[in-house]
Amino acid sequence: MARARSEERSGWLFILPFMVSMALFFVYAIVRTAYYSFTDFDLFKTPSFVGLSNYTALVSDELFLTALRNTIGFSLIVTTVQTALALALAVLVNHAVRARGPVRTVFYLPSIMSSAAMTLIFLWLFQRDGFMTAIVSIVLAYLRHILLFLVGVAAVQGALVLNARRRYEGVSIFDPFFLLVAAASALALVVACALAGLLPVFDNDLRISWLNTQQRFLFMPVTLWSVALMNVFTTVPTLMLLFLAGLQSIPNALYDAAEIDGANAFQRFRHITVPALRPVTFAVVTMGIIGTLQMFDQVAVLGDAAPLASRATLAYYVYENAFPAGASSRIGMASAAALVLGILTIAVVYVQKSVGVKERAE
Amino acid sequence: MLSCPAGALAAATMLAGLPAFASDTVRISGWGGSEVAIVNGLLTDVLAEKLAKEGITVKYEPVDGEFSQFIVNGLSAGTAPDLFYVDIFWARSVFSAGQALPVTQDVSGFAANLVEAFTYEGKVYAIPKDFNTLAVHFNKDIFDDAGVAYPSDGDTWKTLQEKLVAVHKALPEVDGLCLVPEYARFGAFALSTGWTPFDSWGKTMLDQRFRRAFDFYTGLVKSGAAVLAADAGQSWAGGCLASERAATAIEGAWIISALRDSAPNMNLGTVRMPKDPESGKRGNIVFTVGWTVNAASKVSKAAIKVAGLLTSEEAQQWVLEQGLALPSRTGLADNPWLRGDRPEQMTSRVIFEGLSDDHVMPYFFGKVGGSWMQPINAALNSVILGEADADTALASAQSALDRMLAN
Repeated sequence: MARARSEERSGWLFILPFMVSMALFFVYAIVRTAYYSFTDFDLFKTPSFVGLSNYTALVSDELFLTALRNTIGFSLIVTTVQTALALALAVLVNHAVRARGPVRTVFYLPSIMSSAAMTLIFLWLFQRDGFMTAIVSIVLAYLRHILLFLVGVAAVQGALVLNARRRYEGVSIFDPFFLLVAAASALALVVACALAGLLPVFDNDLRISWLNTQQRFLFMPVTLWSVALMNVFTTVPTLMLLFLAGLQSIPNALYDAAEIDGANAFQRFRHITVPALRPVTFAVVTMGIIGTLQMFDQVAVLGDAAPLASRATLAYYVYENAFPAGASSRIGMASAAALVLGILTIAVVYVQKSVGVKERAE
Repeated sequence: MLSCPAGALAAATMLAGLPAFASDTVRISGWGGSEVAIVNGLLTDVLAEKLAKEGITVKYEPVDGEFSQFIVNGLSAGTAPDLFYVDIFWARSVFSAGQALPVTQDVSGFAANLVEAFTYEGKVYAIPKDFNTLAVHFNKDIFDDAGVAYPSDGDTWKTLQEKLVAVHKALPEVDGLCLVPEYARFGAFALSTGWTPFDSWGKTMLDQRFRRAFDFYTGLVKSGAAVLAADAGQSWAGGCLASERAATAIEGAWIISALRDSAPNMNLGTVRMPKDPESGKRGNIVFTVGWTVNAASKVSKAAIKVAGLLTSEEAQQWVLEQGLALPSRTGLADNPWLRGDRPEQMTSRVIFEGLSDDHVMPYFFGKVGGSWMQPINAALNSVILGEADADTALASAQSALDRMLAN
């Protein structure tokens, strides 16, 4: 009995520092924020109660609604893409036979850069006549070359696989040796056609506004699509590491048994890897949702390089109200928006937990 | 009784009529960069003796980064310095919150529109320390190579545009002007038409005068007279000028220190902003910074004294002659240094003259602050990029401004 009580006391002592910091920086902060959201506090005058007017002002503020739309769209896109890419990369890295260490290091490198530094690099890449525009420009200029190459690869690969399957079973449609031959043949075809003058090159002087634009693509401003690309690039490596750790905990015996039963690579991935990785996937998706809903630094570093409505996110909206350029702080509005952001984050995580990826492996 | 040496020394000091040793320590703060050299120079080279005589010790804390946030945080937490910079852009938010003390009654020596900028409810809450206006800076060598006449004080929008187009035609790799789609530069053109940012009801009307300036400014790129700074791989017009990608840039005197580092051998010329060909008037924007005293300061009297010393004629003359900043005292407008032919002297002279242009407004937008510029910047941007026509962009900007100023 005494021993149990002593253990309990030790347990409380161990979690005490965490509880103190939680009480101070989370509970106290959230109570203060909730209180300020019902006042007209501007950091200086005594806060006076204004009821729900900050919340009604939020709903009628076009910038808030834009920020809300942008945030949800950004979160949806980035979480989906980064989870899929991280999983794919982890599988790839896990299977790397040669130079496994350097390969993992190279893939992880973008994660160790500060997001502010990465944003500055991307600002340069995303200039109207910068690197990203150059890539699009080259693709458009050599569109026919690229199309012919792709058609050539598909045709040669298809022919080789069909021919092989007539003689023996089990030839993969993505057989690597055939792919190599198909790529070489298609390349030779493209070069021959280009030399014969059959493939025109389209001259273009493209200037694409990646960041400094008010254009939208689908449900999100083009600027935020560019920021999403940036975000995926810097976040995927960390998530890849989580998946990699998860992959290495799956017993090889499962794969061996499935292989003996005749399961191909995709079937093994679909029926062993994905279900076994569910706890990791749940963590990755949850972290992704929280991180993307609260994305701030990248749009803050963008600054005037992009119009406000094209880059505003909820976290940025909170900051804009707390420290508006050239005007008095609107802490009441900032607090109301911060609470909305917090509640939205909890709600989305809860919804994902209920209907999305499950916590437990099958 | 006076056996200890310190006591003896204090008694001797009192008998000699010298200031007490218990000096007031005044914490002062401004932004970093080149300002550090200015303030340190003032404190050590110019004012050291006077400060000692007043029994004031100054502790200087320059801030790199977002200075306004540093001050607002410090004021709300009670840790702000006793004396600090306020930019006209955000000064009113500090004054209206009761965080500053009136600093002086005697403003006779200062430029009237700078004093007005820092006047709130009839009291002067900051002493203007320096200012800037906009001017046209150009690379003389590029104009010589293109065989085009230099921009001049007599230029109108039209004649300047013709020169810029001619430069680009003669030297296709060089653009005439480097442009940013921002009110901070475009505003000078809009003001020259006689348009005002706020009418007597406090509303902003993007009327025909504004439209004329808007069409001119947004048409500069299409006419071949200008390039967007972002398209030249630069974040501001001075970068285009320094890299010789553009022949001219519309900036303040701050361009001098930037060019000193990045293009020290540039054959630079500076002329006043072009006139609106219809009104025949010039417009300009004043950017100014002042020293203000923290209302919660325990050494406010000493801080006011320091503010006075830092903006005294002697101090401002030193700053001017170092080529570091433009003084806010009108008495220095005739300073011999300003009549020199060195680029910084010539630029300072033109910037000084900008203060007396026909339509000059401070870089300040009332309670709404910098948000006021957002719709105008968005309209400029979308039209210059060809994403919207002027009618659509301005209608959208007008409705955004109406919503913003409705409250």
